[in-house]
Amino acid sequence: MGNVILRRFVSLPFVIFSITFITFWVGFLAPGDPILSMMGGRNDQATYERLRHLYGLDQTWNDQYFRYLGGLLRGDLGLSFRYQGRPVVEIVSGGIPVSVSLGAVALVLSLSIGVPVGIWAALWQNTTAERLSMAAMLMLYSIPSFVLIPIFRWVNYQFYARGWPSLPVAGWGQPEHWIMPVLVLAAASVGYIARLTRVSMLEVLKQDYLRTAYAKGLGQNRILWVHAFRNAVLPIITVVGPSVAFLVTGAFVVENIFAIPGIGFLSVQAIQQRDYPVIQSTTVILAAAVVLMNLITDLLYSLLDPRIRVEG
Amino acid sequence: MFTKRLLTVLLVSVLFILAVAPAAAQEGGNLRWSLEGINDLVSLDPAKASDSQGFTVIGLLYGGLVRLDGDLNVIPELAESWTVSEDGLVYTFTLREGAAFSDGSAVTASDVVWSLTHALDPATGGWTGPFYLSNIAGANEVASGGTSELSGAVAVDDRTVQITILQPSAYFLSQLTFGSAKIVSSKQATTDAQWENNPLSSGPFQLKEWNHGQGIVLVPNPGYYQKSPLASITMPFIQDSETAYQLYRTGQLDIMGSQQNGIPSVHVAEAEGQADFRSTSLFAVRYVAFNNKLAPFDNADVRRAFALALDKQTLANDVLAGTVVAADRILPLGIPASELPVTSLSFDPAAAKAALVAAGVTPETIGTVKLTYGVEGDNERVVTVLQAMWKESLGIDVTLEPLELSTFSARLNETTQTPETGLQMYYSVWGADYPDPQNFLSQQLRTDVGNNNGHYSNTEFDALVDQADVLTGDVATRLGLYNQAEQIAVSEVGWLPLFNPRLNILVNPKVVGVVFNGQGLIIPDFAALNVSA
Repeated sequence: MGNVILRRFVSLPFVIFSITFITFWVGFLAPGDPILSMMGGRNDQATYERLRHLYGLDQTWNDQYFRYLGGLLRGDLGLSFRYQGRPVVEIVSGGIPVSVSLGAVALVLSLSIGVPVGIWAALWQNTTAERLSMAAMLMLYSIPSFVLIPIFRWVNYQFYARGWPSLPVAGWGQPEHWIMPVLVLAAASVGYIARLTRVSMLEVLKQDYLRTAYAKGLGQNRILWVHAFRNAVLPIITVVGPSVAFLVTGAFVVENIFAIPGIGFLSVQAIQQRDYPVIQSTTVILAAAVVLMNLITDLLYSLLDPRIRVEG
Repeated sequence: MFTKRLLTVLLVSVLFILAVAPAAAQEGGNLRWSLEGINDLVSLDPAKASDSQGFTVIGLLYGGLVRLDGDLNVIPELAESWTVSEDGLVYTFTLREGAAFSDGSAVTASDVVWSLTHALDPATGGWTGPFYLSNIAGANEVASGGTSELSGAVAVDDRTVQITILQPSAYFLSQLTFGSAKIVSSKQATTDAQWENNPLSSGPFQLKEWNHGQGIVLVPNPGYYQKSPLASITMPFIQDSETAYQLYRTGQLDIMGSQQNGIPSVHVAEAEGQADFRSTSLFAVRYVAFNNKLAPFDNADVRRAFALALDKQTLANDVLAGTVVAADRILPLGIPASELPVTSLSFDPAAAKAALVAAGVTPETIGTVKLTYGVEGDNERVVTVLQAMWKESLGIDVTLEPLELSTFSARLNETTQTPETGLQMYYSVWGADYPDPQNFLSQQLRTDVGNNNGHYSNTEFDALVDQADVLTGDVATRLGLYNQAEQIAVSEVGWLPLFNPRLNILVNPKVVGVVFNGQGLIIPDFAALNVSA
């Protein structure tokens, strides 16, 4: 196992290096031009050429790329094209804590609802209540956020119009600003986690060793939590890792619609404006997050399942 | 059991949070005005701002020598008066007595000279200065990095600035109302490298807070000659105009909707007729333009056939459900000279076919032509209808080429540089930078100007606009010349105008002192700007 982790750590810089290279080339080859975007359709060739030079866009690809890479190694992500003169580090570092905390709260919420619902459904298999709850979970999982948000807002407006307490529709900074985005972000993963937990529990509950445990006269709670759940949790851990990445990318839509100053919000506008330094930085950060989450997943795996420890 | 209890606890806590969430608080004297379509401001340096949202804020934070009033006339701002020399080349401005930055220091003539030079300086990295101030003597020398002295701007004494221009111009003062000519404190800007983040203000308001990614808060500048009774203006950045609409509806905003980001079209019907609904036809025109250097559109008769084939009323009223106003001319309604008549090429399928015959071509010899457009808003719907109308009226097959916006502007630029490999025909838009026909005619369709991407060229048109551009004083003659030029460009289809977009916004009836017209929201007198209790 130690080897696997060591290998992962060693490969991390290579993964990130490849990501920078690919992102750079995609940006370099993609049609479109940050200077033209900035000038909003007004053509003035002399000014255009001068601005290209100022932002170093008239340099060759290797000059541009290695200058960027050199900066990255020193922790300098360059200057934003759009937010003229503001360092990308400053822009991006404002967004990371927002996105991470939003994603973390949504994840905790979806686990704390999804897992119990799944276990409950496994225990009450084939009852009407179980079928209804699983249908509800399937619906939550399949409704995209851009459909869920208008529904939330409609309900919220009905509250407002009647003079009842209502939630702010968008914004950031107050505790009440969290509620709608967290619910929207959590909705899909609640459905997924609940259904997965159910299947996984059903599988475990059929095992012989559980029958043995019952036969031994162990208490229901002990059987459920120590013997069954501990074994059923492995597949859940498997999805939670990528699910974190899913929550961060899902935040692209949610952050934009709720005007939350996170990293997803930044990326969308950077892409539209061809703000290459910002695009490169957010991509690298997201890639690093995914790699890191996979690593953590592997570590948790080995902690929970001794077989993996041995085989690794 | 465990889950049931957990769910109950969770539900109760959500309801509790809902209950304690404060209902929309109405603070007296705070104007809540959203800026849509952005997640942050580009810069608070007026020379670097580049989008309309940025210029809205720049207009509140900085004063210029002159500005526009509610009827779009140029009026004195930080200059209380000016004189123009006999030959129309030398403007002498006298600064308002007592005009001060937000720290109390006086606005001086050298601040004006420094600000104009800064806007042109290539090291600043802005594009608006070189574009709008190029008529000032020596501007191009500064913009090209040859010198850092702007020869055409001189501080005669503390309160007198003399600006010399290269050619007489009736719109020079209009150009000075634009963001690139706003006045910055040269003392602060030359001593504080971080000044853009906390600039001294020369305008009606000063910066209180700038929360990146969220919004800004402004408070009145005591040094400005018109003191707003408002306590503050809160301007949140809202990327999505649907969100801004919902915020307005739930009492969290006083003004929503700005250029290109008005009330989402699905909500126009429900907002219409309410006291807070405001609607105007914008000083902008959506048009189709042709590559005049490539067959078949190098032939005016072919362009005419394409123009006559379009039923713009159906497009505007049925397809776009009245969110636009059909346009048969280049100048949007309300721009000077738009009140003079133009004979337009209205929908006439028979005349369209006749024009093809006159051009000596048939749908077969033309073959398939390509219309390129940027993917945005209703564009997809519009071009699909155009395609159908051309097919029906002319029997010509048009293929559509959608491009992502940034790619579209890059292709447009290529069309200007190398027309042979450029676009054949494109769907585009132009919005006024300042309300003058020069901005639509001379700057768009004169031979070889930068914005003339389609390379339309007519020597008579050029002569007329050249004459009108430098004519000052005699307004009627000047507008008459533009009218003749516009007639040529309409008849020869320099552009094929389709419609003027409407902008629908919401303004709380409690907000007083704002005027809404084709140029957007204008505050004629800041001392009258308030939110009544």
